[in-house]
Amino acid sequence: MRNYLVSVLPAVVSVLIIAQYLLVPNFRQFTALDQNAPSNTFVWFMGFFVVLFSAWYVAGFFSKRAAKALRKRAPIFTAVLLLLLAYDWATLSAGMLPQPFVPWPDAILNAIIRDREILARSVFHSLRLLFTGYGIGAALGIICGVAAGSSEKIRYWISPVVKVLGSIPAVTWLPVILVLSASLFQGAVFLIALAVWYPVTSTTMNGVLNVPKGTFEAAATFGVSKIGMIFKVAIPASSPFIFQGLTQGMSIACTALLIAELMGVEAGLGWYINWQRGWADFAAMYGAVVIICITFFAVNAVLNVIKSRVLRWKEGG
Amino acid sequence: MNGKIEINRLNKVFKRADTAENFCAIEDLSLEIESGEFVSIVGTSGCGKSTLLRIIAGLETPTHGEVLCGGNTVSGTSPSRGMVFQEHTLFPWMSVRKNIVFALKSAGRFKMFGGDVDTLLETAGLTDFANSFPHQLSGGMRQRAALIRSLAVSPDVLLLDEPLGALDSFTRMVLQDEIIRLWKERGNTMLLITHDVDEAVYLSNRIIVMSPRPGRIAEIVSVPMSYPRNRGASEFAQLRTRLLKRLNFASDTQMDYYL
Repeated sequence: MRNYLVSVLPAVVSVLIIAQYLLVPNFRQFTALDQNAPSNTFVWFMGFFVVLFSAWYVAGFFSKRAAKALRKRAPIFTAVLLLLLAYDWATLSAGMLPQPFVPWPDAILNAIIRDREILARSVFHSLRLLFTGYGIGAALGIICGVAAGSSEKIRYWISPVVKVLGSIPAVTWLPVILVLSASLFQGAVFLIALAVWYPVTSTTMNGVLNVPKGTFEAAATFGVSKIGMIFKVAIPASSPFIFQGLTQGMSIACTALLIAELMGVEAGLGWYINWQRGWADFAAMYGAVVIICITFFAVNAVLNVIKSRVLRWKEGG
Repeated sequence: MNGKIEINRLNKVFKRADTAENFCAIEDLSLEIESGEFVSIVGTSGCGKSTLLRIIAGLETPTHGEVLCGGNTVSGTSPSRGMVFQEHTLFPWMSVRKNIVFALKSAGRFKMFGGDVDTLLETAGLTDFANSFPHQLSGGMRQRAALIRSLAVSPDVLLLDEPLGALDSFTRMVLQDEIIRLWKERGNTMLLITHDVDEAVYLSNRIIVMSPRPGRIAEIVSVPMSYPRNRGASEFAQLRTRLLKRLNFASDTQMDYYL
């Protein structure tokens, strides 16, 4: 297909979505009292994308880079928008999916807007818990990993702990932790830290063990001190491995966070979903899922940016 | 600068990992190297030449005997004894310039050096690659960078463990000239391990031939030629043949005819 035809597709499908939303009859009549009565929110939302993709398309006439970037991403954008179109049609127009368990996009957007304050607070609580646990777990993991990698005696004790306990998913301990810990927040921090500690310790240890002997020997001939060997040689040399553990740890930490919040912690996005389930507000639950997706995506994106900055020196990295 | 090396009745015994037997890498080796001298060690694999170099560097400890460098007994590594390895040991996470600065700072000689890393990079032809990471350089440039990094800290003795072994022969010849230039400029002691007899003859004042199992000195050959040397000179060829014979790679009988 011609490039300009592909590039214009996202804008066209966005218009199609609005048309289907406004013109195709809904599967039932709504009254003003209906909580999920279709509103203009979705029109504004999709209108934003129409403007965005049109502007991008027009910018392509002036900037080759913009045109290339759009042409590269247009197929996947179009596919996602088509899915959204199908979803909106299946829920609101055809009523095919069981109602009220599968709300349509307009209802989800309205739920997010309605609960924006409490959602923002939930995001804040979740992130605070995530970063506290993650920070503690990652720091302890790097310390233990470097110690185990540098000293055979320490490795003798740490390596089996990582191997045996590391094979138990950290969330297994959740019931015990919730009973034993002074506060639910502290318990969840401990759980997340534990979940992050395993992968970071094990990859850091492997990283230090994999540093070529010559690297340490060369450093020794320059008179690098013992502390310098750890902070200026061992840690930077094994940083690709450390980041591997940090990435793994982040995905486990996100899981542990949500489970902890769903199971007991009385704040955060997991708690919000549970709370809305109590009210059978499915639109709000879906809204929380969307917010969780955006939040975790952003957290991982930030981690990746840091990773690519730090590992700039790596071949192909 | 005192780069005199004295080796007194050095012995190094390793425990073999596979049979738990002892294995004598170096036996009763004594040697004196004058300050500012360029000495090469040649020998087949397993003759203990790398072990000897590592003991002088302070990376291994002798079983018996001792090594003195500049009059002091060697124990542990020191910036006064630099080492260049066969695999470049540039720190991959640092640019070429940072590698040099890190070495200088670790050795506590950054202030003394005056921080003139640029001049050093320029003399080595690495100005354009100062901010490149090691993986972005060619093999020859990496070894050149490793060489000037080691020389930047002004060691009294520079130990070279087959630094050019992994390079192609043209790059090797270019770097051999570079090594001679840097040595003449600085006047430090150079101790080179090589498998390449030509390299030894081209570079050294003296060549030490070692024999294996147990590692000991078989012969010490002086090279009376002045620098720069001509690889094509007959004197050069004679020395090369003599060394190869000593290493059992050339036969004593001259061939009368060729098939």
